[in-house]
Amino acid sequence: MDSLQNGTFNISHETTKEDFNLLLQALDASISGIILTDNRLPDNPIIYCNKAFETISGYDRSEIIGHNCRFLQKEDRDQKERQLLREAIKNGENCIVDIRNYRKDGTLFYNELYMSPIKDESGKVGYFIGVQNDVTLRKKAELDLRQQQDVMEKRIVERTKSLKESEDYLASIVQTVRESLIVLDPEFKVLSVNDHFLKTFKVTIEDTQGKLLYDLGNGQWNIAALKELLESILPTNNPVEEFEVEHDFPHIGKKLMVLNAHRIELEGQYKDRILIAIEDITDRREIERRKDDFLSIASHELKTPLTTIKGLVQVMQRMVPPEVSDKFKAILDKTGMYIDRLNNLIAELLDVSRIQTGNIELHKDSFDFDKAVHEAVEAIQAATKSHNIQITGTSNEKVLADESHIVQVINNLLSNAIKYAPDHKEVIVYISRVSNYVKFSVKDQGMGIKQEDHKKIFDRFYRVGEIQQRFPGMGIGLYICDQIIKNHGGTLWVESEPGKGSTFSFTLPLNKPQPDGN
Amino acid sequence: METKTILICDDDEGILDMLEIVLEGSGYHIVPVQNSLMIYDIIEQEHPDLLLLDLWMPVLSGDQVLKSLRKNPQTHELPVIVISASRDGQQIAADAGATDFMAKPFDLDFLLKKIQEYLN
Repeated sequence: MDSLQNGTFNISHETTKEDFNLLLQALDASISGIILTDNRLPDNPIIYCNKAFETISGYDRSEIIGHNCRFLQKEDRDQKERQLLREAIKNGENCIVDIRNYRKDGTLFYNELYMSPIKDESGKVGYFIGVQNDVTLRKKAELDLRQQQDVMEKRIVERTKSLKESEDYLASIVQTVRESLIVLDPEFKVLSVNDHFLKTFKVTIEDTQGKLLYDLGNGQWNIAALKELLESILPTNNPVEEFEVEHDFPHIGKKLMVLNAHRIELEGQYKDRILIAIEDITDRREIERRKDDFLSIASHELKTPLTTIKGLVQVMQRMVPPEVSDKFKAILDKTGMYIDRLNNLIAELLDVSRIQTGNIELHKDSFDFDKAVHEAVEAIQAATKSHNIQITGTSNEKVLADESHIVQVINNLLSNAIKYAPDHKEVIVYISRVSNYVKFSVKDQGMGIKQEDHKKIFDRFYRVGEIQQRFPGMGIGLYICDQIIKNHGGTLWVESEPGKGSTFSFTLPLNKPQPDGN
Repeated sequence: METKTILICDDDEGILDMLEIVLEGSGYHIVPVQNSLMIYDIIEQEHPDLLLLDLWMPVLSGDQVLKSLRKNPQTHELPVIVISASRDGQQIAADAGATDFMAKPFDLDFLLKKIQEYLN
């Protein structure tokens, strides 16, 4: 109150009354509500309020003067700010609180109340001045913000929990799989391995983590094929699948492993880490080998008596007296035919087993392709009275291939041409050389094959529906042929229309450069 | 024309019987050998013109027989047709020095044609 000098106002340089008016107008112009209470009167009643206080509270001056401020809190008495105010009044101190107040119409507003005591010369509190601002908007924003923060915090807790859960979940998957897993850093140091790895390779986590892969177990993982995979193949062919590694480990013996390797290419903390999954197929291979061995022996043993039966039936066919009925001859012919079918089934069983286990062994040798075709045709023709097989064309080439397997394919295609065209006598074989391939085709006059079956007939155990009743079989002959030709780097396909016969062709690559030098 | 002698070495009696019937019917002199260990002595005695030889036989296998025959100057040139039901028979036969190979079961006409080829 610097402007008060010797009890005289001198704001307007006019009368004290003029100054007083100016001050009252100034108070009424304030956007803050201002009240005065008289602490000397009972219950500390309000003795002055400005216009803004009426506006903020919604009460008229006549409803305000004489009341204690608490009417502003209505029924909302349980506020800790009220305790603060009481303390300040009792001690005659300043106090600032945000308190929930209610307008006359009952609506809530947040009141930022600055309360200050006015003391007389002896230090006794005569009055209190209260300055009030409606801070509902700010308070609301603050509360909203707090609520948002609470929600966010809750979410973070939830997310952290779910991350932890999913990490635990992933870890439990990694530990449960019956496959060894290794994670390497870009320098091939082991970052982690799963339990199965430790169990299979009989190592401890201490011997493993942080060590260079090649140094593990006194260098027993220093395997040339693995090195090649990690250092030569993976950098350019990511990911690598089904990579076979065979290695003799000092303690656990010879292991045949199939590896999948994946270098992480995603930018971020995991970039260039290498994941390796190792499947130990030592036992599986051994079982497959035994199965193949068993089937080899079984098929050999089954074919031996079949050879005798076939020979004896053929002897009977030669010894048939001229007066015997055609029906009897037909029965003998049929017997021979079923012996051949049984023989094919036995051979196919073994072949399918070998193809499935990837053990189809090719003994490649150079042989005269035309001669092989002629011999195969001759053999089939010798056994077939019903059909006439003609050969046209030549390739004049030697091929590097497994002759017995190629002859098997030719036999199979020729047998099919005869089997599925019982009413047509002509089968034409065509040999040619096309670019750097030899090509073999066999054309029959049979029932033909629908377009939608052209691919499927090469599937394992696929039988064209209506065929099964007339010509029983296992549906593996063409599958085997296709696999054999594929294994030689050639292709096998069919061109056919129902009722117009079929042409089966295959190509085999010649192991020499193309004429144009490409 | 003198009768040609064909030795058939197979541990399976049925095949020996069947081939004997067929080949004798075609005018050959047939000597069946069921025990492959006897084969060297029988070759000494019979001087066959051709040998039909099985592969999978107990104790002494066909490819072992064939390899030693090829080492012996007297049987070095003997035509030997290997007959086998083994899937890998053709390769084994070729490696051991067979003149020809026929997979069991075979076609009789085809076998006879081959035999004629090597005996003329």
